[in-house]
Amino acid sequence: MTIDVRDPVRPAPMLPPVDVAPLRRARLRATGVQAACVAVSLFMALPIVLIGLAAVSSRAALAEFPKPLVPSEFALDSLLSFLRATGTLPALGNSVLAGLYAVFWSLVVGAPAGYALARHAFRGKDAYQMFILLVRALPIVVLSVPLATMFLRLDVYDTVLAVTLVHTALALPTTVLITASIFVSVPADLEEAAQVFGCTRWQAARRVVVPLALPGLAASSIFTFVLSWNELLGATVVTLGHRTLPAQVLTSLAEASVAYRFAGGFALILPALLFIFVMRRYLLNLWGTTLR
Amino acid sequence: MPRITVSRRAVLRTAGLGAAALAAGCTGFATTGGGGMVFLSTQFRPVDEAQRFRDLLARTISGVSYVTIEEGPFAGQVRSQVDAGATRIGLLGGLHGDLAPLADGYLEDVTDVLARLGDHRWPADYLELARAGSDRTWYVPWATASYILAAHQDALENLPSGVDPAALSYDDLLDWAVAARRAEGRPVLGLPAGPKGLLHRFTQGYLLPSFTGGQITTFRSAEAVTAWEYLRELWANCVPSSTTYDFMQEPMESGEVRLAWDHVVRLVSAPRQRPDSWRMLPSPRGPRGLGYMAVLAGMAIPKGSTDPELARRTIEALSLPRTQVELLRSNSFFPAVAADLPDDLSPAIAMEAQAVRRQQDAEDAILSLPPVGLGEREGEVSKVFQDTFRSIVLDGAPIRSTLDGQARVLQGILDELRVPCWAPDPPAGRCEVS
Repeated sequence: MTIDVRDPVRPAPMLPPVDVAPLRRARLRATGVQAACVAVSLFMALPIVLIGLAAVSSRAALAEFPKPLVPSEFALDSLLSFLRATGTLPALGNSVLAGLYAVFWSLVVGAPAGYALARHAFRGKDAYQMFILLVRALPIVVLSVPLATMFLRLDVYDTVLAVTLVHTALALPTTVLITASIFVSVPADLEEAAQVFGCTRWQAARRVVVPLALPGLAASSIFTFVLSWNELLGATVVTLGHRTLPAQVLTSLAEASVAYRFAGGFALILPALLFIFVMRRYLLNLWGTTLR
Repeated sequence: MPRITVSRRAVLRTAGLGAAALAAGCTGFATTGGGGMVFLSTQFRPVDEAQRFRDLLARTISGVSYVTIEEGPFAGQVRSQVDAGATRIGLLGGLHGDLAPLADGYLEDVTDVLARLGDHRWPADYLELARAGSDRTWYVPWATASYILAAHQDALENLPSGVDPAALSYDDLLDWAVAARRAEGRPVLGLPAGPKGLLHRFTQGYLLPSFTGGQITTFRSAEAVTAWEYLRELWANCVPSSTTYDFMQEPMESGEVRLAWDHVVRLVSAPRQRPDSWRMLPSPRGPRGLGYMAVLAGMAIPKGSTDPELARRTIEALSLPRTQVELLRSNSFFPAVAADLPDDLSPAIAMEAQAVRRQQDAEDAILSLPPVGLGEREGEVSKVFQDTFRSIVLDGAPIRSTLDGQARVLQGILDELRVPCWAPDPPAGRCEVS
């Protein structure tokens, strides 16, 4: 066994003193990074924590002035009465359904369009890309009344399907553009190599391109879900008795008492957070294999 | 062959997902509660208020589900459903300003309902409004509300001596606000000048009629200049965060505000929680009298209603004096029909009722109405008053030239519509800012 000359117990007296400056610098940088991470996390998490705390505090504690950071008294009654109000839970279910269906359909329709934009050069491609964005340029107020009339005639009015259609249409521009940029960054060589080894075009896309593009698809699905989760006006106009959560209760939150606002805010945040949490592991790939 | 197996499974999985998505996504879950005829309304939207009204409705009549909606989508829903010839709504509820614009072909004539109920039970003013400028009745007056002052006991202690809080003048109010500010070391008067606050109703229905005797015709008179000068002074003694207040009851409950003016429904939660510490007072009076505004809600039947018979029965049930008193108890809206108020009202509601009654019964009362017959352009008139407040009071613009400029905007709207003036302005052939 050899003796390590850097062994701190028996330092070799003849060696020049160790320069600790780079080590210190690295440590300092690590501390800085940690501090920045903590600051960013606080920036994101603190409002959610505060809303959560306020949602479970009693009415009397909410009315205190000046307000303490941690409420003096906890109570679940405003949250419970919010959840028990007619239609809140079914509306929550409708929102989840509409969100998931919008994610599904926007990927089914949007991702192939993004793939085509990424792989093929065709006449009017730039114009097409601009044209796609036009959906978002028109305010939903203008679209909603004709849409409602059309849905009434087609007999899909007042269904989650109607909301899903509206939300899918609204989400398509972002889905197409995000997936296009993600498919561009998957090298065409890989796809060609797969075809050389006997894959059909479709198999190459499904087995090579889609797994590599998964982070981008996850990102666009988060966009779509959050858009659908928050969208209000379209959902209000095309439904009546099968509403989504924003249409059912959250319109009135701005006019409700503070206790209900916090309870509703909390109920609105949670499922969206949950969805983002589930999608997170796909998102983390963003800094992984293909995309550098 | 493994390749075929995989692709078949994939195809099946995709097809299954698609079918499941379509099958479950077609309708979704019903959010109306019991189902039945839809009663679409712009009133009682906050969760707790809606729940209280649903309980009242369930006690009154069965088979009606109450659905709330904002004012903008309300008109859109009714119009698109009636236009498509597929109305899914049974009954409509809303303020005069929500229903009157729909009178041109989207509502059923309810003159017969009114006749069957005996129309002597409603004040003539309300029935006039419900005709929306035609010779038929388009909605049945349902409930009314008004705007009053609320004062905390602490603020009442700072009331200048010799002033009766139940018979304030605008000068008394200013003196009171100044005295309270000096005593507390901070301003305690709050006004609802937030984005959804109703301060424009204060200028439209209270300040200007009290100072000038009119709302539109006197918009740029010399007295109006005095009124705006007064508001500027009053504002200097208001809580600075008044520009964020939509509902006065919240800063009142938290103690930021000790003296406030607002819509009764937006005030009542503070006295309801602490009836001993608050007093409800009638609005102040100015040189011309006590200007006050009445808000009228009505019920209407849309063209092609899903169940016109049930809708009529619901209207009749909700028009009974007994149910209207119930509505006052649960949602703080006053009966539109002549009804004797019982003695066992909760303290907050009783105080509110007394203040509103004193306001209405004052000898020098000047009744103002929210703009009548403007239909969807009513918002533009509200905006004139909001903009005037913003320029003069918040930005310190010169009063004379601001009033002249806004009067031109107002006149432009009125010229296009060619409508007669509404109370308190004289009902001349055409409304003009003089």
